[in-house]
Amino acid sequence: MNKTLALLPIGNSGVVEGVNAPKALKRRLMDMGFTRGIPVKVVKVAPLGDPLEVEIRGYNLCLRKEEAKIITLRQE
Amino acid sequence: MKTIALVGNPNCGKTTLFNQLTGTTAYVGNWPGVTVEKKEGLFNGMRILDLPGIYSLSPYSPEEKVTRRYILDEQPDLIIDVIDSTNLERSLYLTTQLVELGRPMILALNMTDLLEKTGITIDVKKLSLMTGCPVVQLSASKGLGMEAFSKEVARSQQEPNLPSCPLFSNVVEKYISTIIEDDYLHKLPFGRPMRWAAIKLIEDDEFFLSSMPEVPQSTMKVVEQARAALTITYNDDPEAVIIDQRYKVAEKIRCACQTKIEQQDHFSFDRIATSRFGAIPLFVLVMALVFYLSIQVVGGMTTSLISFFFQFIQEHLASYLHSLGVIPLLNGLLVKGIISGVGSVLTFVPQLFVLFLLLSILEDCGYMARIAFIMDRIMRTIGLSGKSIIPMVIGTGCSVPAIMCSRTIEHQKQRELTVVVTPFIPCGAKMPTFALFIGFFFPDKWYIAPLIYFLGILAVIFTGLLSQKLDKHKEKNTFILELPRYQVPTIKNVWLQTKERIMGFIHKAGTIILLASALIYVLQSFSFTFSPVEPQFSILAQIGRVIAPIFKPLGFGTWQATVALLTGIAAKESIVSTLTVTMGTASIGTLFDGASAIAFMAFVLLSFPCVAAQSAMFKELDGNKIKFLKAICYQFVLAYAVALVLHVIFLEVL
Repeated sequence: MNKTLALLPIGNSGVVEGVNAPKALKRRLMDMGFTRGIPVKVVKVAPLGDPLEVEIRGYNLCLRKEEAKIITLRQE
Repeated sequence: MKTIALVGNPNCGKTTLFNQLTGTTAYVGNWPGVTVEKKEGLFNGMRILDLPGIYSLSPYSPEEKVTRRYILDEQPDLIIDVIDSTNLERSLYLTTQLVELGRPMILALNMTDLLEKTGITIDVKKLSLMTGCPVVQLSASKGLGMEAFSKEVARSQQEPNLPSCPLFSNVVEKYISTIIEDDYLHKLPFGRPMRWAAIKLIEDDEFFLSSMPEVPQSTMKVVEQARAALTITYNDDPEAVIIDQRYKVAEKIRCACQTKIEQQDHFSFDRIATSRFGAIPLFVLVMALVFYLSIQVVGGMTTSLISFFFQFIQEHLASYLHSLGVIPLLNGLLVKGIISGVGSVLTFVPQLFVLFLLLSILEDCGYMARIAFIMDRIMRTIGLSGKSIIPMVIGTGCSVPAIMCSRTIEHQKQRELTVVVTPFIPCGAKMPTFALFIGFFFPDKWYIAPLIYFLGILAVIFTGLLSQKLDKHKEKNTFILELPRYQVPTIKNVWLQTKERIMGFIHKAGTIILLASALIYVLQSFSFTFSPVEPQFSILAQIGRVIAPIFKPLGFGTWQATVALLTGIAAKESIVSTLTVTMGTASIGTLFDGASAIAFMAFVLLSFPCVAAQSAMFKELDGNKIKFLKAICYQFVLAYAVALVLHVIFLEVL
């Protein structure tokens, strides 16, 4: 099983490996900056456990765990 | 006339720049997606367009499609690529796509006033060299750099420069040139540059393909070969390869032009605003404070004062006109019709002013997107997304802008559901009705007013759950939202927005409400034979009586209540003014009792909104008549059912 963004603990960073999603969603996530080799950090989790706030390419983005699951990270 | 288009990421300050340039006061806020439709203005004799923000030229939500369609089909003479200086890389990603359209372009580096604070410096000359576009530094919110901007726009009119396209990796470039060699690419319609078209073919962009003449088999073969080769080389699909290449270009430019000194993380409001235990209580507290300050504090202070003022005018004007010998009908029309009707609505100006003021502060400071962030989990359980909370918060002011900003919700079903439930949140125009009834029937029951809001929220939840039950094939929803920086709201912005909304309210009082009050007065003074009669035999009463039986089970089957509801369709404020005019000197207690007052309020709260909000609903339901009628009927039926139940319950309780 590949490591995904959803499994990253709060405050930790990882490096994006790819986005495994249907065309439109993949395109959207990549447009927001999730391309291969880019560092991404989980800043916080919303009070009710979902969604996540991540930092990527110098800005903050919010996405659900469901979406974070499809973003795979490089194995350390 | 030449056309200039403002294009850029959401929330990068396009509308603020637009307002600066045109001197207008279009609606600005600090969350991504405030502008959902293009707006036009005039700037130095040119047509200037403010387009909804986009992250890329491959649209995802409907308002983004507006922008893409516009840029491609209308071919603006000049594109102003508005860039958030503090977010250079992602802004430049869009720039790499815009330059390929082959239109003259200027980069407007906006928000440069924030650079110092964030420790960023940008080498403007280098940026201009690397993108092939003139670059202007400005801060639209502070009005800095506007002169240089105007000059640059004027200069580009004389000698328009075409930006140079960014170059991708050798492999990708090789395939782009192979495709460009194909005959098909040389016969494209105007405004479809070859390089851009070639890239779109590699990406297999369906929007592009559907807008193009049919691609011949031979060309398709070349494209397929290129796609296959790229897939193997990069071990990813060609569309992803292109995105990756664009971001690499953006990264390269950013690295070359920007230096950043890392800032220390200091204490931020955000720690509390989105903290585990504090976030939701804070949200509830903020909303409660907004209503407490506007309705209780300011409303309580001013309402009796203003209504006293109008009573004073009415009495004195009536006796003065009487002494002048003005005929009673005209006297009554002016005093009992117009002044009392308009006055009953104007009473609410101070508290609505404060409500609008506080809401625009919320919108401007960046908290709105955080509300969406913390509420998403809750909204999801009723089939909505975190983004749906923004229309609802704005809906406490007015449903019309609220319904419009539901357009940023990407998923059709969620968007439609948001459109249908947003009017359940009581807007400012419904407030007078509640204030009138609560003030008369329940002056010492503080919990009735919060109960009304609670009822609205319950209706939202119920509708959400119901639609989830009825929805057979559930689609997966996503929630991707940029969280903007917090900012201290600018006085100018907040003032402009508040002024705009409160003037809208006052304007309605001076037009629709005034006319309605006058008309109601005339209609209730005459019979069908145009002889002056007592109100209960008037035209109005007779019309009201035909429809009134429908509302009998709800406890308010009187012609006055019916007519009030009818005029409420034009504007909800006129419910109060109509009641005031038709009751004359009688008290509201003669028409309603406690239980029917509650039923009436519930009905006003939940039944379909005013015409303006209805037309917003129609538009956001993609102009689909059937969906719109369904929504309206649903709202009516729900309102009727809830009012009926409440009437029965409260008859027992009270």
